[in-house]
Amino acid sequence: MQHYWFGDVSDDGQCVQAPSDIAALASRFRSLHPDMAGLVVLSVDTAIACGWVPDRPEYIRRLRKVCIAIAEEEIATYYAQSDRELLQMVRMLDEMDSVVNLLSERATEWYIVRNPGFSRKYRAITAKKMVARMKGDSSTPLSRVAADIERISATRSALMRDVSSLADRVAPNCSALVGGLVAARLIAKAGGLRELASLPASTVQVIGAENALFTHLRSATPPPKHGIIFQHRRVHNAPKDLRGRVARVLAGKLAIAARIDYFRNEADPEFLESAQARIDGAGADT
Amino acid sequence: MIRIDGVLVSPGEGGVYGERMLKGYRVWDPYRSKLAALVHSGKAPDLLFGMVVLYLGAANGTTVSHVADYVDTVYAVEYAPRPMQDLLEVARRRKNVVPIFGDATRPSGYASIVESVDLLYQDVAQPDQVGIFMKNAAFLKESGIAVLMLKARSVDVRRDPAEITRETVAALEAGGFLVGHVCRLDPYHRDHAAIVVTRR
Repeated sequence: MQHYWFGDVSDDGQCVQAPSDIAALASRFRSLHPDMAGLVVLSVDTAIACGWVPDRPEYIRRLRKVCIAIAEEEIATYYAQSDRELLQMVRMLDEMDSVVNLLSERATEWYIVRNPGFSRKYRAITAKKMVARMKGDSSTPLSRVAADIERISATRSALMRDVSSLADRVAPNCSALVGGLVAARLIAKAGGLRELASLPASTVQVIGAENALFTHLRSATPPPKHGIIFQHRRVHNAPKDLRGRVARVLAGKLAIAARIDYFRNEADPEFLESAQARIDGAGADT
Repeated sequence: MIRIDGVLVSPGEGGVYGERMLKGYRVWDPYRSKLAALVHSGKAPDLLFGMVVLYLGAANGTTVSHVADYVDTVYAVEYAPRPMQDLLEVARRRKNVVPIFGDATRPSGYASIVESVDLLYQDVAQPDQVGIFMKNAAFLKESGIAVLMLKARSVDVRRDPAEITRETVAALEAGGFLVGHVCRLDPYHRDHAAIVVTRR
């Protein structure tokens, strides 16, 4: 017996047609996983002999309808996952960061042309103050640009808070361990919560340090100790010789947290407490 | 295959991805499409009017649209949702493209809809490209031809692409296939090799 999308065909050529509406055909298709070993590859002639369609063009027309309907549904389900938007938000955030930096650097150069005596040396002027100063240079083209840069930075800060709070909801355990922003960055780098949850801890440890990792694999440089998780205070505050250990422990707990987040999607206080204790313990010199 | 003043083109409705038009034909750029690059090498199997093609790794449907201009039917398999959106748009306009949201590593997922094909074309960024090819060869007719676009960097970034190509060819031959032609796609595509295969 062969099971095709249009019906079941027995070995002696007897054929039972499937119901013909698209939704039923789509769900039939999903349930069919013929064994490749015993497979008799479909022939359109069989479908015609079966009385399913009069000719090949009609066969292809109907098959296309079903396939397009299935694909549309799968795509819709995929984008309905809660981490899809988070991914775009994190990437937009990083993009805005680099845009703001580029723009303010360029604007500073412009400002110096207009104010030849100016220098940033010995004055500790942050980029933000610099932009504010340029904006004060009343209603010139430069001040208009500076005002826009300020607006983008404001949008960026708001977006950062949004990312953090969305991450709290999408990945409560990861967010509790390393904060919403770092958790969101991990998810974005991994390509999604499901993807992060299926990574081994050793990979989680070096997500974001791909350059160092591949340089290490190609040549004799030391392996990276940490990637994005360096941003966690327990890692970057740890003394240099303990950082590797802290990063390793943190990554281990994060890998577990990601799995709890993906499969249960709720905070697990008991796990969080023991994980936190373990991470704090790893930083203590023994 | 149609060439106009040495430029590879395909007949069909233009404007799929902003491709240039030449005397009413769509220019098929070897820098964008690996199959076009293989055609430039002169050793690509001809795309004929009556052919049925199984295309694994259809991506955004760029190459698929050109293949569909030449052949009868293209079964286009893609696994990632984002490129699938573009492929669907191509399939809505091109009535001989059957878009399949499926995983080429698990052909049983679409075995209930794919008929036997004259050409199996595989362009997937996966480590086990030979394994995927072997599984999907079930759909290939006895007289069929297969083209395997080997992405050496997806098999192993750390190893020499030429060595990976040699290994792949050996694996295909051990699997009962006849390797007709192997060609590097330089300068159009780096670290890619095209392998043209028939059944022994």
